[in-house]
Amino acid sequence: MEPRPTVFDEIFAKLTPDRLLRDERATGAGIAVAIIDSGVERSILEEKFLKAGTPIRPIEGVVFRTGNATPLPYDGHQSSPHGTTVADIILTIAPQVQLYSADVFGPQGACEVETVIAALHHAIDVWKVKVINLSLGVPEHKLQQLPRRNQLLRAIEEAYFKDVLVFAAAHNEHPLTRSYPSMFSPPLISVDKGLFDDPLQFAYKLRESIEFQAHSRGYLGPFAREPATSWATPHLAGIAARILSLKPDLKPFEIKTILYWMFRAEALHAV
Amino acid sequence: MSEAVLIVDDEESVRRTFYDWLTTSGLDVRVLSAGDSEAALILANQQSIDLAILDWNLGSGTDGLRLLEDLVEFQPEIVAILITGFAGQATPLEALRMGVRDYLDKNQDLNRDTFLKAIRKQLDKIRPAKRQRELNESLASFRETVEKVLPLVRSTATLNDPVPLPVAVHALFRFLLRATGATDGVLIVRHLLNDGTDTTICYAPNGEPLPSHPVPFSRSLAANVVSMQDPCVMNDFDPASAGIVDLMPFERNRKSILAAPVRVGSGTHVVLELFDKPVFTEEDRRLVAAAADIGAELLKQAFAERQTHSLLFDAVEAALTASDNVTRTLNTTPDTPAYTRADTSAIVMERLKLGLAANTNAVIDAETGLKLVEAVRTLATRHGTAPVEHCVILVNNLRELLDGITGTE
Repeated sequence: MEPRPTVFDEIFAKLTPDRLLRDERATGAGIAVAIIDSGVERSILEEKFLKAGTPIRPIEGVVFRTGNATPLPYDGHQSSPHGTTVADIILTIAPQVQLYSADVFGPQGACEVETVIAALHHAIDVWKVKVINLSLGVPEHKLQQLPRRNQLLRAIEEAYFKDVLVFAAAHNEHPLTRSYPSMFSPPLISVDKGLFDDPLQFAYKLRESIEFQAHSRGYLGPFAREPATSWATPHLAGIAARILSLKPDLKPFEIKTILYWMFRAEALHAV
Repeated sequence: MSEAVLIVDDEESVRRTFYDWLTTSGLDVRVLSAGDSEAALILANQQSIDLAILDWNLGSGTDGLRLLEDLVEFQPEIVAILITGFAGQATPLEALRMGVRDYLDKNQDLNRDTFLKAIRKQLDKIRPAKRQRELNESLASFRETVEKVLPLVRSTATLNDPVPLPVAVHALFRFLLRATGATDGVLIVRHLLNDGTDTTICYAPNGEPLPSHPVPFSRSLAANVVSMQDPCVMNDFDPASAGIVDLMPFERNRKSILAAPVRVGSGTHVVLELFDKPVFTEEDRRLVAAAADIGAELLKQAFAERQTHSLLFDAVEAALTASDNVTRTLNTTPDTPAYTRADTSAIVMERLKLGLAANTNAVIDAETGLKLVEAVRTLATRHGTAPVEHCVILVNNLRELLDGITGTE
């Protein structure tokens, strides 16, 4: 006699990647996401998503400048358009997230590792976000000083132990050029670029410390259609935000496992 | 700066008592406290600790000596006082080697007076040693700064004759347009100085500056390219897709764009844009990336004079700060207030800037002067010295004419 299905069997039968990602509650609602980048042009995104019928939550933020430990107020503007493209991708995938922008680039168009670390601490301790998107990196040859590299690693590990998911972009020329923090793979989710039919698709493809590949074309901005790891990273961060809105207390290693399982399940299904 | 004293004890009442004793002692110390090794190490990781007061028994199977072993990893100079219940049974040699300089026995005469006496004794030893360390660090910093300045000063002579910018731009585009098959291009140069002055000049392929434009750099296509850090291609360019970017007049109505950042140094952003090849290929992208590196060297020479000034300001400012630190360290004793020369530094910097400005821009502003020099240099490069001499005659004639009209002697 066949054993009678238990409630767990029913749950597992329902648990498919597609169901998870396309659940009507999987909108990113209740999940705070920080974008450490070049700032966000708030009004453009508000207008775009309002027109699309999915109004977004007010974007908050701060501005970090090299050599100044105290963040400055955010006036709703970008330092350069890169961060706005990143924010747009996250909001496209998970429109109900609470977005925070840490502008670390400033008018110089560059920033120091220390500034990124300060922004990480701010996102973790002040905003208490669940997800941090880092569509940036320092090539290995420019981060030879071990103490600075260790400081960055320590900040990433701090996020991990506080259950904050950090998504970091691999270098666009990976693996020819390796960059940090994406190479600190175990405590974070490292993302390379890939092209998929559906922006909600992704792959687990371990290559020289980088674990995941996600859709690498954006939607807003002149170079958004150019495949880049900068655009792949927010796709996967947005996907994680969708999953987290179903169960917000998942730990980084649980999310990584779920992402891995989703990829495997999809691959098996395709076969 | 006052010394930092860290209290580590698993009993909150003990921590509070020590804290109160220290903060009301007038010893001018910063007091930190932690209830266990983990919290102590986090604090030590975040800031410098001069003196640690460690409970021998910290609970959870660990002790003050073991914690000190870890603290020394962060701060090799740290000095510690152990609070024990059995001072006589401790291992003094090992402890001394690790930085324990005193013991206080909980079961005997541990009171406010004995506690503060022990602390004072250690601070009296720590403070001169710390000042010596700071002095050494300041001197090292000063030496490093001077070493940075010297080559700059020496190289000034070789920078007196930089490649004129229009010539550099023209040479770069001549190669790029031919190699990629692009029909047009532009070089965008943005200077951002430390005082906040922000100027953007765009150059046509022949090296001539284009009319100024109203687009702020932060909203420009060029800013996007700078943050992408790599050459970017847009084939079948649709201006509507620009969205978050305001296009400059020369970028509108383009069919395709290949744009690349040119890294010439801090404070200057340079972006090279090529237009209107039917399809820019991956090969074009790689070629432009390589050309951008070579072009950067060419352009660096053209920008060298301006950058040298900027670097010189930075270096002199750092040297002054370092010398302030030296002076402060030499003049500060525990009993005398710190002497600061911060105001003096600001005055010296201001005078230096004024002096440089007065030398070069006493009559005309820097940009106008630069334009004149570039125009004359281009003339001389293309047609020799005779036309330049003719220019001098023209300028003198013009001056005489204006003197006559205005009645100037």
